[in-house]
Amino acid sequence: MRTTINFGTLTISLLALCHFAHATPAANDAQAVVEKLHATLLNVMRDADSLSYKGRVQTLNGVLAETFDFTTIGRIVTGNSAEQWNALDDAQRSRFLDVFAQLSAATYASNFDGYSGEVFETLGVEEKRGNVLVKTVIVKSDGDQVTLDYVLRETNGVWQIVNVIASGVSDLSLKRADYTAVIKSEGLDSLIGKLTDKVANYASSGR
Amino acid sequence: MRHQRNLLPIVGLLTLLSLITGCASTPNGDPGDPYEATNRKIYNFNDSIDRNVLQPVARGYVTVAPKPVRSGVTNFFDNVGYINVILNDALQGKPGQFFSDTGRFVVNSTIGLGGLFDPAKEMGLMAHDEDLGQTFGVWGAGEGAYLNIPLAGPSSFRDAPGFLSALLLNPLTYLNPIVTLPLSVVNAVNIRANLLEATNIRDQAALDPYTFVREAYRQQREFRIYDGNPPGDGFDDYLEGDGDSAILRIY
Repeated sequence: MRTTINFGTLTISLLALCHFAHATPAANDAQAVVEKLHATLLNVMRDADSLSYKGRVQTLNGVLAETFDFTTIGRIVTGNSAEQWNALDDAQRSRFLDVFAQLSAATYASNFDGYSGEVFETLGVEEKRGNVLVKTVIVKSDGDQVTLDYVLRETNGVWQIVNVIASGVSDLSLKRADYTAVIKSEGLDSLIGKLTDKVANYASSGR
Repeated sequence: MRHQRNLLPIVGLLTLLSLITGCASTPNGDPGDPYEATNRKIYNFNDSIDRNVLQPVARGYVTVAPKPVRSGVTNFFDNVGYINVILNDALQGKPGQFFSDTGRFVVNSTIGLGGLFDPAKEMGLMAHDEDLGQTFGVWGAGEGAYLNIPLAGPSSFRDAPGFLSALLLNPLTYLNPIVTLPLSVVNAVNIRANLLEATNIRDQAALDPYTFVREAYRQQREFRIYDGNPPGDGFDDYLEGDGDSAILRIY
Protein backbone atom coordinates (compact mmCIF):
# COMPACT_ATOMS: atom_id res chain seq x y z
CA MET A 1 0.00 0.00 0.00
CA ARG A 2 1.57 3.23 -1.12
CA THR A 3 -0.19 6.46 -0.40
CA THR A 4 2.54 9.04 -0.91
CA ILE A 5 2.60 11.01 -4.13
CA ASN A 6 6.03 10.99 -5.71
CA PHE A 7 7.82 14.06 -7.00
CA GLY A 8 7.31 13.08 -10.62
CA THR A 9 3.58 13.13 -10.13
CA LEU A 10 3.80 16.41 -8.27
CA THR A 11 5.83 17.97 -11.08
CA ILE A 12 3.39 16.72 -13.68
CA SER A 13 0.49 18.08 -11.63
CA LEU A 14 2.17 21.48 -11.31
CA LEU A 15 2.97 21.54 -15.02
CA ALA A 16 -0.62 20.58 -15.69
CA LEU A 17 -1.76 23.48 -13.52
CA CYS A 18 0.34 25.92 -15.55
CA HIS A 19 -0.88 24.36 -18.76
CA PHE A 20 -4.51 24.71 -17.84
CA ALA A 21 -4.20 28.21 -16.42
CA HIS A 22 -5.35 29.57 -19.77
CA ALA A 23 -7.99 26.91 -20.32
CA THR A 24 -11.53 27.97 -21.11
CA PRO A 25 -14.41 27.65 -18.63
CA ALA A 26 -15.80 24.70 -20.61
CA ALA A 27 -12.49 22.86 -20.44
CA ASN A 28 -12.15 23.63 -16.73
CA ASP A 29 -15.67 22.43 -15.98
CA ALA A 30 -15.19 19.23 -17.96
CA GLN A 31 -11.86 18.53 -16.32
CA ALA A 32 -13.37 19.06 -12.88
CA VAL A 33 -16.09 16.50 -13.65
CA VAL A 34 -13.56 13.85 -14.66
CA GLU A 35 -11.37 14.57 -11.66
CA LYS A 36 -14.36 14.31 -9.35
CA LEU A 37 -15.04 10.84 -10.77
CA HIS A 38 -11.37 9.90 -10.35
CA ALA A 39 -11.31 11.15 -6.76
CA THR A 40 -14.31 8.98 -5.96
CA LEU A 41 -12.74 5.99 -7.70
CA LEU A 42 -9.57 6.45 -5.62
CA ASN A 43 -11.62 6.62 -2.42
CA VAL A 44 -13.53 3.52 -3.40
CA MET A 45 -10.27 1.71 -4.16
CA ARG A 46 -8.61 2.76 -0.91
CA ASP A 47 -11.64 1.85 1.21
CA ALA A 48 -12.55 -1.17 -0.92
CA ASP A 49 -12.48 -3.66 1.92
CA SER A 50 -14.29 -1.62 4.54
CA LEU A 51 -16.95 -0.51 2.05
CA SER A 52 -17.35 -3.99 0.55
CA TYR A 53 -19.02 -4.43 -2.84
CA LYS A 54 -22.36 -3.06 -1.66
CA GLY A 55 -20.84 0.05 -0.13
CA ARG A 56 -18.78 0.72 -3.25
CA VAL A 57 -21.89 0.48 -5.42
CA GLN A 58 -23.72 2.94 -3.14
CA THR A 59 -20.86 5.43 -3.17
CA LEU A 60 -20.52 5.15 -6.94
CA ASN A 61 -24.25 5.42 -7.73
CA GLY A 62 -24.34 9.03 -6.61
CA VAL A 63 -21.21 10.23 -8.35
CA LEU A 64 -21.96 8.36 -11.57
CA ALA A 65 -25.44 9.90 -11.79
CA GLU A 66 -23.79 13.27 -11.40
CA THR A 67 -20.83 12.84 -13.76
CA PHE A 68 -22.36 10.70 -16.55
CA ASP A 69 -25.04 11.71 -19.05
CA PHE A 70 -26.83 8.35 -18.92
CA THR A 71 -29.71 9.55 -21.08
CA THR A 72 -27.45 10.33 -24.04
CA ILE A 73 -25.36 7.21 -23.42
CA GLY A 74 -28.47 5.04 -23.14
CA ARG A 75 -29.90 6.41 -26.36
CA ILE A 76 -26.68 5.81 -28.31
CA VAL A 77 -25.87 2.32 -27.00
CA THR A 78 -29.37 1.20 -27.96
CA GLY A 79 -28.69 2.51 -31.48
CA ASN A 80 -31.45 5.14 -31.40
CA SER A 81 -31.59 8.59 -32.97
CA ALA A 82 -33.18 11.30 -30.80
CA GLU A 83 -36.54 10.81 -32.55
CA GLN A 84 -36.51 7.02 -32.18
CA TRP A 85 -35.51 7.35 -28.56
CA ASN A 86 -38.35 9.75 -27.79
CA ALA A 87 -40.77 7.45 -29.56
CA LEU A 88 -39.93 4.57 -27.21
CA ASP A 89 -42.38 3.55 -24.53
CA ASP A 90 -41.67 5.66 -21.42
CA ALA A 91 -41.69 2.72 -19.03
CA GLN A 92 -39.40 0.64 -21.24
CA ARG A 93 -36.99 3.55 -21.65
CA SER A 94 -36.76 4.21 -17.94
CA ARG A 95 -36.37 0.49 -17.17
CA PHE A 96 -33.44 0.41 -19.57
CA LEU A 97 -31.82 3.55 -18.11
CA ASP A 98 -32.31 2.21 -14.61
CA VAL A 99 -30.59 -1.12 -15.26
CA PHE A 100 -27.89 0.59 -17.32
CA ALA A 101 -27.00 2.92 -14.43
CA GLN A 102 -26.96 -0.07 -12.06
CA LEU A 103 -24.67 -1.94 -14.43
CA SER A 104 -22.26 1.00 -14.64
CA ALA A 105 -21.96 1.20 -10.86
CA ALA A 106 -21.63 -2.59 -10.62
CA THR A 107 -18.85 -2.64 -13.25
CA TYR A 108 -16.86 0.09 -11.49
CA ALA A 109 -17.43 -1.47 -8.04
CA SER A 110 -16.26 -4.83 -9.30
CA ASN A 111 -13.17 -3.59 -11.16
CA PHE A 112 -12.03 -0.96 -8.65
CA ASP A 113 -11.93 -3.34 -5.70
CA GLY A 114 -8.55 -2.61 -4.16
CA TYR A 115 -5.68 -0.17 -4.06
CA SER A 116 -2.04 -0.76 -4.92
CA GLY A 117 -0.57 2.66 -5.47
CA GLU A 118 -2.44 3.73 -8.61
CA VAL A 119 -2.44 7.42 -9.47
CA PHE A 120 -4.79 9.23 -11.86
CA GLU A 121 -3.24 12.00 -13.93
CA THR A 122 -4.91 14.46 -16.26
CA LEU A 123 -2.71 14.97 -19.33
CA GLY A 124 -4.69 17.49 -21.31
CA VAL A 125 -8.05 18.91 -22.25
CA GLU A 126 -9.17 19.63 -25.81
CA GLU A 127 -12.31 21.26 -27.05
CA LYS A 128 -13.70 19.43 -30.01
CA ARG A 129 -16.54 21.37 -31.57
CA GLY A 130 -18.93 21.47 -28.70
CA ASN A 131 -17.59 18.35 -26.97
CA VAL A 132 -14.61 18.30 -24.64
CA LEU A 133 -12.00 15.54 -24.60
CA VAL A 134 -10.22 15.06 -21.25
CA LYS A 135 -7.12 12.90 -21.62
CA THR A 136 -5.98 11.02 -18.54
CA VAL A 137 -3.89 8.03 -17.50
CA ILE A 138 -3.94 5.62 -14.61
CA VAL A 139 -0.35 5.08 -13.55
CA LYS A 140 0.19 1.83 -11.69
CA SER A 141 2.84 1.49 -9.02
CA ASP A 142 5.11 -0.43 -11.42
CA GLY A 143 4.95 2.48 -13.89
CA ASP A 144 2.55 0.79 -16.32
CA GLN A 145 0.02 3.21 -17.73
CA VAL A 146 -3.52 2.81 -19.01
CA THR A 147 -4.87 5.71 -21.03
CA LEU A 148 -8.42 6.83 -20.25
CA ASP A 149 -9.91 9.52 -22.47
CA TYR A 150 -13.27 11.01 -21.56
CA VAL A 151 -15.67 12.74 -23.95
CA LEU A 152 -17.95 15.25 -22.26
CA ARG A 153 -20.98 17.08 -23.58
CA GLU A 154 -22.84 20.01 -22.11
CA THR A 155 -26.56 19.98 -21.42
CA ASN A 156 -28.17 23.08 -19.90
CA GLY A 157 -24.84 24.34 -18.63
CA VAL A 158 -23.84 21.03 -17.03
CA TRP A 159 -20.89 19.03 -18.39
CA GLN A 160 -21.23 15.27 -18.21
CA ILE A 161 -19.31 12.26 -19.51
CA VAL A 162 -20.79 10.61 -22.61
CA ASN A 163 -17.95 8.25 -23.50
CA VAL A 164 -14.88 6.64 -21.96
CA ILE A 165 -12.11 5.49 -24.29
CA ALA A 166 -9.77 3.06 -22.53
CA SER A 167 -6.53 2.30 -24.42
CA GLY A 168 -8.22 3.41 -27.62
CA VAL A 169 -11.32 1.29 -27.12
CA SER A 170 -14.50 3.36 -27.02
CA ASP A 171 -16.86 2.01 -24.37
CA LEU A 172 -19.84 3.53 -26.16
CA SER A 173 -19.03 1.89 -29.52
CA LEU A 174 -18.36 -1.43 -27.86
CA LYS A 175 -21.65 -1.37 -25.97
CA ARG A 176 -23.56 -0.12 -28.99
CA ALA A 177 -22.29 -3.01 -31.13
CA ASP A 178 -23.00 -5.53 -28.39
CA TYR A 179 -26.42 -4.15 -27.38
CA THR A 180 -27.84 -3.42 -30.82
CA ALA A 181 -27.05 -7.01 -31.88
CA VAL A 182 -29.29 -8.23 -29.04
CA ILE A 183 -32.01 -5.65 -29.73
CA LYS A 184 -32.06 -6.60 -33.41
CA SER A 185 -32.46 -10.31 -32.79
CA GLU A 186 -34.41 -10.39 -29.53
CA GLY A 187 -35.69 -6.89 -28.74
CA LEU A 188 -35.11 -4.28 -26.06
CA ASP A 189 -36.89 -6.23 -23.32
CA SER A 190 -34.53 -9.14 -23.81
CA LEU A 191 -31.58 -6.75 -23.59
CA ILE A 192 -32.94 -5.32 -20.34
CA GLY A 193 -33.24 -8.88 -19.01
CA LYS A 194 -29.66 -9.73 -19.97
CA LEU A 195 -28.30 -6.56 -18.37
CA THR A 196 -30.28 -7.30 -15.22
CA ASP A 197 -28.59 -10.72 -15.12
CA LYS A 198 -25.19 -9.04 -15.52
CA VAL A 199 -25.88 -6.78 -12.54
CA ALA A 200 -26.86 -9.86 -10.50
CA ASN A 201 -23.65 -11.63 -11.57
CA TYR A 202 -21.51 -8.73 -10.42
CA ALA A 203 -23.38 -8.61 -7.12
CA SER A 204 -22.99 -12.34 -6.46
CA SER A 205 -19.27 -12.36 -7.29
CA GLY A 206 -18.55 -8.96 -5.73
CA ARG A 207 -16.66 -8.95 -2.46
CA MET B 1 1.44 -4.68 -25.64
CA ARG B 2 2.98 -6.29 -28.66
CA HIS B 3 1.67 -9.47 -30.11
CA GLN B 4 4.34 -12.08 -30.24
CA ARG B 5 3.79 -14.66 -32.89
CA ASN B 6 4.78 -18.27 -32.83
CA LEU B 7 4.72 -20.98 -35.42
CA LEU B 8 1.10 -21.91 -34.86
CA PRO B 9 -0.39 -18.95 -36.74
CA ILE B 10 1.08 -20.21 -39.98
CA VAL B 11 -0.84 -23.44 -39.64
CA GLY B 12 -3.85 -21.31 -38.73
CA LEU B 13 -3.46 -19.07 -41.74
CA LEU B 14 -3.38 -22.02 -44.10
CA THR B 15 -6.43 -23.57 -42.45
CA LEU B 16 -8.17 -20.24 -42.67
CA LEU B 17 -7.49 -19.77 -46.36
CA SER B 18 -8.98 -23.16 -47.06
CA LEU B 19 -12.03 -22.27 -44.97
CA ILE B 20 -12.59 -18.88 -46.57
CA THR B 21 -12.75 -20.29 -50.05
CA GLY B 22 -15.74 -22.37 -49.08
CA CYS B 23 -17.62 -19.98 -46.85
CA ALA B 24 -20.76 -18.02 -47.50
CA SER B 25 -21.25 -14.41 -46.52
CA THR B 26 -23.98 -13.30 -44.13
CA PRO B 27 -26.35 -10.85 -45.85
CA ASN B 28 -27.57 -8.71 -42.95
CA GLY B 29 -24.48 -8.65 -40.76
CA ASP B 30 -21.74 -6.09 -40.22
CA PRO B 31 -20.38 -4.92 -43.60
CA GLY B 32 -16.82 -5.18 -42.28
CA ASP B 33 -17.37 -8.81 -41.33
CA PRO B 34 -18.57 -10.65 -44.44
CA TYR B 35 -17.24 -13.98 -43.14
CA GLU B 36 -19.07 -13.72 -39.82
CA ALA B 37 -20.53 -17.22 -40.01
CA THR B 38 -17.10 -18.80 -40.45
CA ASN B 39 -15.45 -16.36 -38.07
CA ARG B 40 -17.93 -17.32 -35.36
CA LYS B 41 -17.12 -21.01 -35.82
CA ILE B 42 -13.42 -20.27 -35.52
CA TYR B 43 -14.08 -18.01 -32.53
CA ASN B 44 -15.95 -20.83 -30.78
CA PHE B 45 -13.20 -23.29 -31.65
CA ASN B 46 -10.50 -20.98 -30.28
CA ASP B 47 -12.62 -20.22 -27.23
CA SER B 48 -13.09 -23.88 -26.35
CA ILE B 49 -9.35 -24.53 -26.61
CA ASP B 50 -8.72 -21.39 -24.59
CA ARG B 51 -11.13 -22.32 -21.80
CA ASN B 52 -10.13 -25.96 -21.62
CA VAL B 53 -6.38 -25.73 -22.10
CA LEU B 54 -4.70 -22.36 -22.47
CA GLN B 55 -6.54 -20.38 -19.81
CA PRO B 56 -6.12 -22.96 -17.01
CA VAL B 57 -2.43 -23.32 -17.88
CA ALA B 58 -1.99 -19.53 -17.93
CA ARG B 59 -3.69 -19.23 -14.51
CA GLY B 60 -1.40 -21.93 -13.15
CA TYR B 61 1.60 -20.12 -14.60
CA VAL B 62 0.56 -16.86 -12.92
CA THR B 63 0.35 -18.59 -9.53
CA VAL B 64 3.68 -20.37 -9.97
CA ALA B 65 5.76 -17.63 -11.63
CA PRO B 66 6.08 -14.37 -9.70
CA LYS B 67 5.61 -11.05 -11.49
CA PRO B 68 9.35 -10.32 -12.05
CA VAL B 69 9.76 -13.70 -13.74
CA ARG B 70 6.76 -13.09 -15.98
CA SER B 71 8.07 -9.62 -16.81
CA GLY B 72 11.40 -11.17 -17.77
CA VAL B 73 9.63 -13.66 -20.04
CA THR B 74 7.55 -10.89 -21.63
CA ASN B 75 10.67 -8.73 -22.09
CA PHE B 76 12.57 -11.60 -23.69
CA PHE B 77 9.92 -12.40 -26.31
CA ASP B 78 9.22 -8.72 -26.97
CA ASN B 79 12.91 -8.15 -27.58
CA VAL B 80 13.49 -11.18 -29.78
CA GLY B 81 10.56 -10.05 -31.93
CA TYR B 82 11.70 -6.45 -32.02
CA ILE B 83 13.41 -6.60 -35.45
CA ASN B 84 9.88 -6.66 -36.86
CA VAL B 85 9.10 -3.42 -35.00
CA ILE B 86 12.31 -1.79 -36.26
CA LEU B 87 11.62 -2.76 -39.88
CA ASN B 88 8.08 -1.39 -39.65
CA ASP B 89 9.41 1.87 -38.12
CA ALA B 90 11.40 2.22 -41.33
CA LEU B 91 8.51 1.22 -43.60
CA GLN B 92 6.31 3.81 -41.92
CA GLY B 93 8.92 6.54 -42.42
CA LYS B 94 9.64 7.14 -38.72
CA PRO B 95 13.42 7.71 -38.65
CA GLY B 96 13.50 8.91 -35.02
CA GLN B 97 11.66 5.85 -33.86
CA PHE B 98 13.78 3.62 -36.10
CA PHE B 99 17.04 4.76 -34.49
CA SER B 100 15.61 4.75 -30.99
CA ASP B 101 14.22 1.22 -31.46
CA THR B 102 17.48 -0.01 -32.98
CA GLY B 103 19.32 1.36 -29.93
CA ARG B 104 16.72 -0.24 -27.70
CA PHE B 105 17.20 -3.63 -29.34
CA VAL B 106 21.01 -3.44 -29.05
CA VAL B 107 20.92 -2.29 -25.41
CA ASN B 108 18.38 -4.87 -24.27
CA SER B 109 20.01 -7.72 -26.22
CA THR B 110 23.37 -7.02 -24.57
CA ILE B 111 23.18 -5.17 -21.24
CA GLY B 112 19.63 -6.49 -20.83
CA LEU B 113 20.97 -10.08 -20.94
CA GLY B 114 19.35 -11.22 -24.15
CA GLY B 115 16.26 -9.13 -23.54
CA LEU B 116 15.32 -10.52 -20.12
CA PHE B 117 15.65 -7.03 -18.66
CA ASP B 118 14.66 -3.68 -20.08
CA PRO B 119 17.49 -1.25 -19.24
CA ALA B 120 16.71 0.67 -22.47
CA LYS B 121 13.54 1.97 -20.81
CA GLU B 122 15.60 3.57 -18.03
CA MET B 123 17.72 5.20 -20.74
CA GLY B 124 14.63 6.74 -22.27
CA LEU B 125 14.43 4.34 -25.21
CA MET B 126 10.75 3.53 -24.86
CA ALA B 127 9.12 0.48 -26.45
CA HIS B 128 7.05 1.07 -29.58
CA ASP B 129 4.32 -1.03 -31.02
CA GLU B 130 4.49 -1.51 -34.77
CA ASP B 131 3.72 -4.37 -37.11
CA LEU B 132 3.04 -4.91 -40.80
CA GLY B 133 -0.73 -4.45 -40.47
CA GLN B 134 -0.17 -1.03 -38.87
CA THR B 135 2.26 -0.17 -41.68
CA PHE B 136 -0.41 -1.00 -44.26
CA GLY B 137 -2.79 1.16 -42.23
CA VAL B 138 -0.31 4.05 -42.20
CA TRP B 139 0.05 3.63 -45.96
CA GLY B 140 -3.70 4.13 -46.23
CA ALA B 141 -5.01 0.58 -46.48
CA GLY B 142 -8.45 -0.06 -45.03
CA GLU B 143 -8.99 -2.85 -42.53
CA GLY B 144 -10.40 -5.28 -45.05
CA ALA B 145 -12.64 -8.09 -43.92
CA TYR B 146 -12.44 -9.06 -40.26
CA LEU B 147 -10.98 -12.52 -39.68
CA ASN B 148 -10.67 -14.97 -36.85
CA ILE B 149 -7.60 -17.12 -37.22
CA PRO B 150 -7.58 -20.61 -35.69
CA LEU B 151 -5.37 -20.72 -32.58
CA ALA B 152 -4.41 -17.06 -33.02
CA GLY B 153 -7.61 -15.05 -32.68
CA PRO B 154 -8.85 -11.79 -34.19
CA SER B 155 -7.24 -10.34 -37.29
CA SER B 156 -8.18 -8.88 -40.66
CA PHE B 157 -7.11 -9.03 -44.28
CA ARG B 158 -4.89 -6.02 -43.61
CA ASP B 159 -3.38 -7.45 -40.43
CA ALA B 160 -3.05 -11.17 -41.17
CA PRO B 161 0.11 -10.89 -43.34
CA GLY B 162 1.77 -9.39 -40.27
CA PHE B 163 1.83 -12.85 -38.71
CA LEU B 164 4.15 -13.96 -41.48
CA SER B 165 6.49 -10.95 -41.31
CA ALA B 166 6.72 -11.25 -37.53
CA LEU B 167 7.54 -14.92 -37.87
CA LEU B 168 10.16 -14.44 -40.59
CA LEU B 169 11.85 -11.59 -38.72
CA ASN B 170 12.02 -13.50 -35.44
CA PRO B 171 15.44 -15.12 -34.93
CA LEU B 172 13.82 -17.94 -32.94
CA THR B 173 12.16 -19.14 -36.15
CA TYR B 174 15.55 -20.19 -37.46
CA LEU B 175 16.67 -22.17 -34.43
CA ASN B 176 16.32 -25.93 -34.02
CA PRO B 177 12.67 -26.87 -33.32
CA ILE B 178 13.89 -28.59 -30.14
CA VAL B 179 14.58 -25.09 -28.85
CA THR B 180 11.85 -23.22 -30.70
CA LEU B 181 8.87 -25.40 -29.82
CA PRO B 182 9.17 -25.28 -26.03
CA LEU B 183 9.90 -21.56 -26.25
CA SER B 184 6.78 -21.08 -28.36
CA VAL B 185 4.74 -22.84 -25.70
CA VAL B 186 6.18 -20.61 -22.96
CA ASN B 187 5.51 -17.56 -25.14
CA ALA B 188 1.91 -18.60 -25.80
CA VAL B 189 1.23 -19.23 -22.11
CA ASN B 190 2.86 -15.95 -21.12
CA ILE B 191 0.88 -13.97 -23.74
CA ARG B 192 -2.30 -15.61 -22.51
CA ALA B 193 -1.42 -14.76 -18.92
CA ASN B 194 -0.93 -11.11 -19.89
CA LEU B 195 -4.41 -11.14 -21.43
CA LEU B 196 -6.23 -12.62 -18.43
CA GLU B 197 -7.36 -9.24 -17.18
CA ALA B 198 -8.73 -8.26 -20.60
CA THR B 199 -10.62 -11.52 -21.04
CA ASN B 200 -12.03 -11.22 -17.52
CA ILE B 201 -13.51 -7.90 -18.58
CA ARG B 202 -14.88 -9.53 -21.73
CA ASP B 203 -16.43 -12.36 -19.75
CA GLN B 204 -18.04 -9.95 -17.30
CA ALA B 205 -19.21 -7.30 -19.72
CA ALA B 206 -20.00 -8.91 -23.06
CA LEU B 207 -23.47 -10.06 -24.04
CA ASP B 208 -22.12 -11.47 -27.29
CA PRO B 209 -18.40 -12.06 -26.74
CA TYR B 210 -17.77 -12.45 -30.48
CA THR B 211 -19.12 -8.96 -31.27
CA PHE B 212 -17.42 -7.50 -28.21
CA VAL B 213 -14.01 -8.85 -29.21
CA ARG B 214 -14.46 -7.77 -32.83
CA GLU B 215 -15.25 -4.18 -31.89
CA ALA B 216 -12.48 -3.99 -29.32
CA TYR B 217 -9.99 -5.44 -31.81
CA ARG B 218 -10.90 -2.99 -34.56
CA GLN B 219 -10.71 0.02 -32.30
CA GLN B 220 -7.48 -0.95 -30.70
CA ARG B 221 -5.87 -1.54 -34.10
CA GLU B 222 -6.97 1.91 -35.21
CA PHE B 223 -5.55 3.40 -32.03
CA ARG B 224 -2.24 1.65 -32.64
CA ILE B 225 -2.04 2.70 -36.28
CA TYR B 226 -2.19 6.29 -35.03
CA ASP B 227 0.22 5.48 -32.18
CA GLY B 228 -2.42 6.57 -29.68
CA ASN B 229 -2.24 10.14 -30.98
CA PRO B 230 -4.51 10.46 -33.96
CA PRO B 231 -3.54 13.47 -36.10
CA GLY B 232 -5.56 16.67 -36.32
CA ASP B 233 -8.96 16.81 -34.74
CA GLY B 234 -10.41 14.45 -37.34
CA PHE B 235 -13.86 15.54 -36.36
CA ASP B 236 -15.16 16.34 -39.80
CA ASP B 237 -15.49 12.68 -40.66
CA TYR B 238 -17.65 12.01 -37.67
CA LEU B 239 -20.05 14.90 -37.55
CA GLU B 240 -22.74 13.58 -39.81
CA GLY B 241 -26.19 12.83 -38.43
CA ASP B 242 -27.00 14.21 -35.02
CA GLY B 243 -23.38 14.25 -33.89
CA ASP B 244 -23.42 10.87 -32.15
CA SER B 245 -20.47 9.71 -34.19
CA ALA B 246 -18.38 12.52 -32.76
CA ILE B 247 -18.92 11.02 -29.33
CA LEU B 248 -18.50 7.45 -30.41
CA ARG B 249 -15.25 8.05 -32.20
CA ILE B 250 -13.58 11.15 -30.91
CA TYR B 251 -10.48 10.67 -33.06
